[in-house]
Amino acid sequence: MKFKADEIASVIQKEIEDFRGQIQTAEVGRVIEVGDGIARCTGLSNAMAGEMLEFPSGIRGLAFNLEENSVGVVILGDYLKIREGDEVKSTGTLLSVPVGDAMLGRVVDPLGNPLDGKGPIMTSQTRPVEHEAVGVAGRQPVKVPLQTGIKAVDAMTPIGRGQRELIIGDRKTGKTAVAIDTILNQKGNGVKCVYVACGQRAASVAGVVETLREHGALDYTIVVVATSADPAPIQYIAPYSGAAMAEQFMYNGEDTLIVYDDLSKQAIAYRQLSLLMRRPPGREAFPGDVFYCHSRLLERAVKLSDELGGGSMTALPIIETLEGEVSAYIPTNVISITDGQIYLEPDLFWKGIRPAINVGISVSRVGGNAQTKAMKKIAGSLRLDLAAFRELEAFAQLGTELDAATQQQLDRGYCMVELLKQPQNAPLNVADQVIVIYAGARGYFDKVPVADVQKRETELLQFIQDEHAEMRDNLISVAALTDEVENGLKAALEAFLARIASE
Amino acid sequence: MSEQLKTRTDRVLEDPGAKAVASLYARSYLSAAAQNNVSDPQEELGSFVDDVLGHFPEFQNLLNSESVSRDEKLGLIDRVVAPKASEFLTNFLKTLVRHGRFGLTAEIREVVVQIQEENSGRRRVQIRSAKPLSDASRSEITTQLKDKLGFDPILLESVDESLIGGLIIQVGDTVYDSSLRTRLKTLTGRLTERTLHEIQSGRDRFSHPEGD
Repeated sequence: MKFKADEIASVIQKEIEDFRGQIQTAEVGRVIEVGDGIARCTGLSNAMAGEMLEFPSGIRGLAFNLEENSVGVVILGDYLKIREGDEVKSTGTLLSVPVGDAMLGRVVDPLGNPLDGKGPIMTSQTRPVEHEAVGVAGRQPVKVPLQTGIKAVDAMTPIGRGQRELIIGDRKTGKTAVAIDTILNQKGNGVKCVYVACGQRAASVAGVVETLREHGALDYTIVVVATSADPAPIQYIAPYSGAAMAEQFMYNGEDTLIVYDDLSKQAIAYRQLSLLMRRPPGREAFPGDVFYCHSRLLERAVKLSDELGGGSMTALPIIETLEGEVSAYIPTNVISITDGQIYLEPDLFWKGIRPAINVGISVSRVGGNAQTKAMKKIAGSLRLDLAAFRELEAFAQLGTELDAATQQQLDRGYCMVELLKQPQNAPLNVADQVIVIYAGARGYFDKVPVADVQKRETELLQFIQDEHAEMRDNLISVAALTDEVENGLKAALEAFLARIASE
Repeated sequence: MSEQLKTRTDRVLEDPGAKAVASLYARSYLSAAAQNNVSDPQEELGSFVDDVLGHFPEFQNLLNSESVSRDEKLGLIDRVVAPKASEFLTNFLKTLVRHGRFGLTAEIREVVVQIQEENSGRRRVQIRSAKPLSDASRSEITTQLKDKLGFDPILLESVDESLIGGLIIQVGDTVYDSSLRTRLKTLTGRLTERTLHEIQSGRDRFSHPEGD
């Protein structure tokens, strides 16, 4: 299209006419020291903690340390452009980021500036990056499920809307994959997602964005990126600005999901800032308030009461451990803050059990209430069965003779492990999960050789979709295993068994 | 005396820590002066800084030096300053030497002057303008400031051509900016924003506003 020059001209003219030269009043200070992403300034005698400050080149800063004679400022931008003696202006506002529907589908930095080359973001709404979490009265218990589409998670560590479920594991164990699958599974569920990449490699973030785009998930997702090349202050605020963007939807009564990938890198960025600001170091050289840094962030994930619109924000923080060391400082902190954790193990990963979830120590403290009735009924004993299987398996490795019942239990266990495997970027509908787990747990797969289980599973789902779609639709709408649904399911499974027997 | 070895770069700005210490000494100096009925304590200190330290930097170096013992420094003050100065100033200088704060003398003097100005209802106001101020505008600014802010301003003028026009007035930490440069910058920002908005809304007429 073409722009009409006179249309634009009239707008410009009107702007100039309306423009009254007002005197700008600001409180100023001067930079006395700058380096490593922080600056010390004199003056600014009325600066507030967390206030946004402005340097001459338009770079923004955050008043971080208010000392007797100076103000410690973290610089949100290129600190190399700031010189000693530069004037710092206080803005009288807290650091805030643009929010709203216009942000969806965009890749932005933690200050809300677009990074995806799709032009400026047209939104007039902003929200402060730091915001107090809702109090007790404004919350309600978690009871609506947030389906991750991952069988092992939805069956054994179910997540509810408003819950904070930690994803923890060593490097390269599929932590991000679990989170991305969950985002992909929200398609058509009306859950808006925010993916915060904090301290990640730019290449892996680009990969994530591409995956989201390919699966059509970018339309309902905001990606906030602070790569490892960004200065520590930017990495530090990334989760908070992501939370602010999600909160906007939540307070409008919508459901949101936010992934913090990952918080151990954010803690390291915060440690860097704090040490440069000469705050005293504590355990592992982290500052004393690193717990608060994470708790105030995760406390913002909430299921709001109906009076406040009933929106929710589900948080999936990710923590990377070193050599499975969950008793390090940051992992223990975040474990204690969250409502459960999904623990991923490299051993399982390399054995081919992917997602490599250790079901024994993964828990969900509140998600049980949020499971659908159907899933609850069939998955109730799954965890215990699997734990019993693991024990038996270890025992069987000794080469002992087993009686038939034990051998059968063992075979059923192998089959279940096989059924809980799932390829990446292929989340399953909860009804399909129920069908598969029902079939496995009730022994419909007992006759199938372990190596064929995954192939048969795909065939089963295809068969049900093609020939018993009614039963499946019924299961989706009722979301419970009523006698009618269960009988239909049994009939379908028997028909399927007859089908493969006749092959 | 040989040239001093430089171990630190010169500070462009004052050290806030030193300033805080200096201000403590300055207040103590003034309140001690008031208790001892010393009239115009600022004058003697000022003249010591300007006429003695200013003219004989070697003397200052000697008193700041770590290689001269404290007793030697005290003796030096007794021999050089005491015969010419009041007992009050001599005691003050000795206190500074005893506390190892003689290097702050110039800063203390600055703060003393500032405090006295504030006590007499006068404050320093920095004025930046694009062109040198005429006498008429200077007196106009003075009366305006006195009306609006309620104190006698001491104008510290400087010329900055990059302002293009208008004034920037700074009182303490507060800046009143009515320069043409800032106004143009604001206008540029607003025009860009507005034009972008127009372009976006123009585009939205032909496409789905939520994007693809």
